[in-house]
Amino acid sequence: MKIPWKKYDCLLIVAGFLLLLPFLKIQRTTDFIIFCVFVLSYDLLYGYMGRLSFGPMLFLGAGAYAVTLFSEHLSPNPFLALSFAVVAAAAVGALIGPIIVRTTGAAFALINLAFNQIGHFLVLIAFAKYTGGEDGMSAHFSKVGFFDVQDRTMIFVFSLFCLVLAFYLLKRLTSSPFGILLRTIKENETRARFLGYDTFLYKWGAFVISGGLAGFAGALSIMNYGYVTPSFIDPHRNVEVIFAVLIGGAGNLYGAIIGGVAYMVVSNYLATYIARWEMFLGIGLLLLVFRFRTGVWGAVTGLLASRRGEAETR
Amino acid sequence: MIGTLIYGLTIGGILYIISIGLSLTFGTMRIVNFAHAFVYALGAYLLITAFRKMGLSFLAAAGFGVLAVLPVAYVIEAYVIRRLYGESLDYAIIATYAVLLIGVDLIKWVWGASPISLNDPIGKDVEILGVSLPVYRLVIITLAFVIYGGLYLFFRKTIVGKIVIAGLDDKDAVRSLGIDVDRYFSIVFLLGSGLAALGGVLYAPITSVHPYMGFQILLLCFAVVIVGGMGSLHGTFLSAFALGMVISLTGRFWGPAAETMVFVVMAVVLIFKPIDV
Repeated sequence: MKIPWKKYDCLLIVAGFLLLLPFLKIQRTTDFIIFCVFVLSYDLLYGYMGRLSFGPMLFLGAGAYAVTLFSEHLSPNPFLALSFAVVAAAAVGALIGPIIVRTTGAAFALINLAFNQIGHFLVLIAFAKYTGGEDGMSAHFSKVGFFDVQDRTMIFVFSLFCLVLAFYLLKRLTSSPFGILLRTIKENETRARFLGYDTFLYKWGAFVISGGLAGFAGALSIMNYGYVTPSFIDPHRNVEVIFAVLIGGAGNLYGAIIGGVAYMVVSNYLATYIARWEMFLGIGLLLLVFRFRTGVWGAVTGLLASRRGEAETR
Repeated sequence: MIGTLIYGLTIGGILYIISIGLSLTFGTMRIVNFAHAFVYALGAYLLITAFRKMGLSFLAAAGFGVLAVLPVAYVIEAYVIRRLYGESLDYAIIATYAVLLIGVDLIKWVWGASPISLNDPIGKDVEILGVSLPVYRLVIITLAFVIYGGLYLFFRKTIVGKIVIAGLDDKDAVRSLGIDVDRYFSIVFLLGSGLAALGGVLYAPITSVHPYMGFQILLLCFAVVIVGGMGSLHGTFLSAFALGMVISLTGRFWGPAAETMVFVVMAVVLIFKPIDV
C-alpha cells in the first residue's frame, strides 16, 4: 500500500506535535512525545515480533532509575546519564532475555509480568535505601553547553528530536532483513528456523533493542519531570501501552505514534470527566479486540485502499 | 516452625483451589483467563454481603458467594471467552484483562474501594506439638485435599470428566466422535470459576477484602500454573503447595519478599524446564 506522503513522515510527526502545542502545556506535550517513544519500543516487540509482553514497564523503570542513580552518584551530565540508562535497560533485557524469549504466547506475557513484579519489588522495598522506596527521589542534571534540562522548550525539542530519530531508526530496522525476519517469526517461527535462521538470536536482539528503547523513554521522562517514583515500574500500568498500541494498530510505526497520542489524550482529558476510568478502559479494550482489531491506522489504510479501489474500477 | 509449615500449606491450599480453574481453562480452551481474578474477588465480596447484610451464617454465606458467582461466570464465558476460541492468545489475554478491569471497577462502584476485613469464622485454636494453630487453616488445608480427591474422581470416573480429559489431550479427535467439546469446556469453566470464588471466600478471613485482591493472587496463580505445567492437574496441585511453602518460608525471614520469591522460583524453573505454550 503506497501512501503519497510517506517520504515526509518525519516532518509530519514534527508538525503534528507542534500543532498540539497551542492546546497543551509544553511539559504535557513532551510527555506525549516520550510516551510515543515507549509505544514504539513496545510495537517492535508486539506488533512486529508478535510477542505480547505484560511487563514493558520493567524497562521503562530500569531506564528511569538508571538515569536518576547515575546523575546522583556518578555524573550529572544528562547525555552520559541518558546513555547509561539505555545501556542499563538493554543490559536488563540481555540478562533476562534468554529466559524470556524461549517462551511464546501466554508464558511470554506472564513471565514478563513476573519480572516486572520482581523489578517493582526491588526498587520499592529491597533497594529502598538507594531508590527512596515509595517516595522516589529527585534527579538533578547539569548544564552542558547550551543544553539545559530545566528549560522546558529545550527538553521538548530534544524529546521530539529523539522521537523522530527513534522512529527513523525503527523504520530502517523493520524494513531491514532483520525486521523482515522478525515478522517471519511472528507469522511462522518454525518455518523461519527451518530456513536455517537461529531465531533465538533474533528474538533476543529484538527484545534487547525494545528494552533499551523503553529505558530511553523512561530516562527522558525523568528529565521531563525531574523525579522518579515506583509508578514508573508499576506492573499495573502495563496495560496503558498495550491499549495505546491497539488503538493505533499493532505492527505499524505510524499506528504506534497515533495510538500513543490518542491514548494520552484520552487518559489525560477524558479521565477527568469519566468517573469510572477503569471500566471505560476495559470496554475500550473489548471493543478494540472484537470490533476494531486493526486500530486507527488499519481503518485509515483500509479506507484509502477502498477509495483507490473505487477509483480504479470507475 | 510448625506454624510456618501450616501457613505454607494454607496458602498452598488456597492457591491450588484458585489455580485449578486457570489451569483447566488454559488446558482446554487455550485461553489465559485474567477474568478469573475478578470472579475470585467477587466471591469474597458476595460472602461479605451475605454474611454482614443478609445475616446468614458463614457457611451459608460462603455457599451463596460461590453459587452467586456462577451466573456471572456464565455471562463472561458466553459473551467473551466463547468468542475467543481459536483466536490468537494475545487477544484472549487482552480481552480477559479488559473484563478484569471492568469487574474491578464494578466492585469499587458497588462496595467501595476501602478494604474490608473479616474475622476468623471458627475462631478456635487447636494445639499441635505445643503450637496453637487456628482450626480454620486446618479446615482450608483439608478442603484443598478433598477438592483434589474430588476432582480426581470427577475426571477419572464420570463421563463428563473423561470427555474433558480426552479434550485436553486432543480436542479435534473428541469432536470427530460427535461430541460437542465446547459445551463440556463451558462446564469446566464454570467449575473453575466456582472454585475461584471458593478460594476468595476461604481467603477472605485471612487477608483483607479489597477490589485489587484479584490482581495480587492472580500473578501467584499464574506462577503456580506455569511451574506445574499448564493444564496439568497433578502438576498444579504439587506446585501450589510447593510455592505456598516458598511464600511462608521466605515470609518467615523477610516478610516483604515473600511473594516476589515465588517469581524467582518460577524464573529458575523456566531456565531448566522451557515450556512451549
